[in-house]
Amino acid sequence: MDTNATSSPLYPQIRICSIRMMKPETCENLLNKLVDVPGIRRILLHGQNIPKVIPYGPARGMENKSAIKRRITIGSTSCDIRMLVGDIILELEDECIIGLIQKICNDFFVNFGFVMQKGIFIKPTMTLVDYAKYGPNADPELIGMVDPRSKERPVRVMAHTECEHESVHVCENNALEG
Amino acid sequence: MKYIPQYGPGTSIVAENRRRQMNPNIELQKYRKVTDEDIVLILGHRAPGEAFKSVHPPLTELPEVDCPMRKLVKPTDGALHGDRVRYVQFADSMFNAPSQPYQRTYAEMYRFRGIDPGTLSGRQIVECRERDLEKYCSTLIETEMFDPARVSLRGATVHGHSLRLSEDGMQFDAIQRCIMGEDGRVKYVKDQIGVPLDRQVDVGKPMDDEWLSKHTTIFHSLVGTPLRDDPEYIEYLQRIHTLRTKYGFMPKEERK
Repeated sequence: MDTNATSSPLYPQIRICSIRMMKPETCENLLNKLVDVPGIRRILLHGQNIPKVIPYGPARGMENKSAIKRRITIGSTSCDIRMLVGDIILELEDECIIGLIQKICNDFFVNFGFVMQKGIFIKPTMTLVDYAKYGPNADPELIGMVDPRSKERPVRVMAHTECEHESVHVCENNALEG
Repeated sequence: MKYIPQYGPGTSIVAENRRRQMNPNIELQKYRKVTDEDIVLILGHRAPGEAFKSVHPPLTELPEVDCPMRKLVKPTDGALHGDRVRYVQFADSMFNAPSQPYQRTYAEMYRFRGIDPGTLSGRQIVECRERDLEKYCSTLIETEMFDPARVSLRGATVHGHSLRLSEDGMQFDAIQRCIMGEDGRVKYVKDQIGVPLDRQVDVGKPMDDEWLSKHTTIFHSLVGTPLRDDPEYIEYLQRIHTLRTKYGFMPKEERK
């Protein structure tokens, strides 16, 4: 197995866990606030699947009609999500924007709380399943970002504007700079 | 001295609620009215107004059998008419739902007749004759054993009891059988297996958090009563654990 297919573990990661699972509309609003923050490399949404068809029981195979919104627009990119979002995992260029993200979350979560954690949440190295799916020359950015069983690829999100947002939080603890 | 069943140990409100639900001499408090037709719709076993299908002729038409059990046990209404055996399954959220699978089985065994419950970690299924099932369902939905947001009827795809609640306080349901309306009332838009209904079935407003914490039968260290706050319950559980560990299938205590 090609051990080069790893994403850099040096980039800091944070996880935003809301106390309640977010509907796509709520998640869309939060992501639209986050996407304007410069320095976010990757965003991973984690939640509970709302399947397209009923998966089990006598009604198996029947269309799963639901009022939950499927298509969301983040920045200038639209994508489909079929879940209630529980966690939002962010990979950052450096730690100095964590304070800004915390501030955005503090302002956003007014009806229910959230917890922000720092750690490694995106799978950093290729597993056997990834190898079987993507082969030896897999894009390291892809690893850990998508369910290997899924036929869909991750979405590349473009922000509303090109980095016009200025960070007012001075970086005090930058792991990359030591 | 006359034997008085205790139903369960514990001094906490959770233990008290458990005993209350199990004790058949206590009438469960009614909180909502759901019509018989609504229950038939949610269950999805027959169309409203349709006759009950039977698997054998009524017992009165069958020849007499010399069976001591038949003399001893009075048949339920469903058995008497030869109804099919049908089921209902409930999924209870861990966030202070008023009942939970083991509790349901205990309570139903004390309160109902002719049932066959199946108990799992997050869901509980009960099978019985169709006519009886509809009657029992009405008790299970209309009384304090039900909350429209934290408890739901799920024949299949039950995942959700241990998950965080949705934004509107509903237990997660991948099939979205019941939804919170704009008027704050919970409505079933699909039957328990996920087939869309012709009309919505209103099961009322969810109970508030204070009511839920006072009526729950689940210990929860974060949102409710922690098990460790009830030393009597812990003592009971430890005793059962010790007896089963030491003596396996012959749980006799050593004589001191």
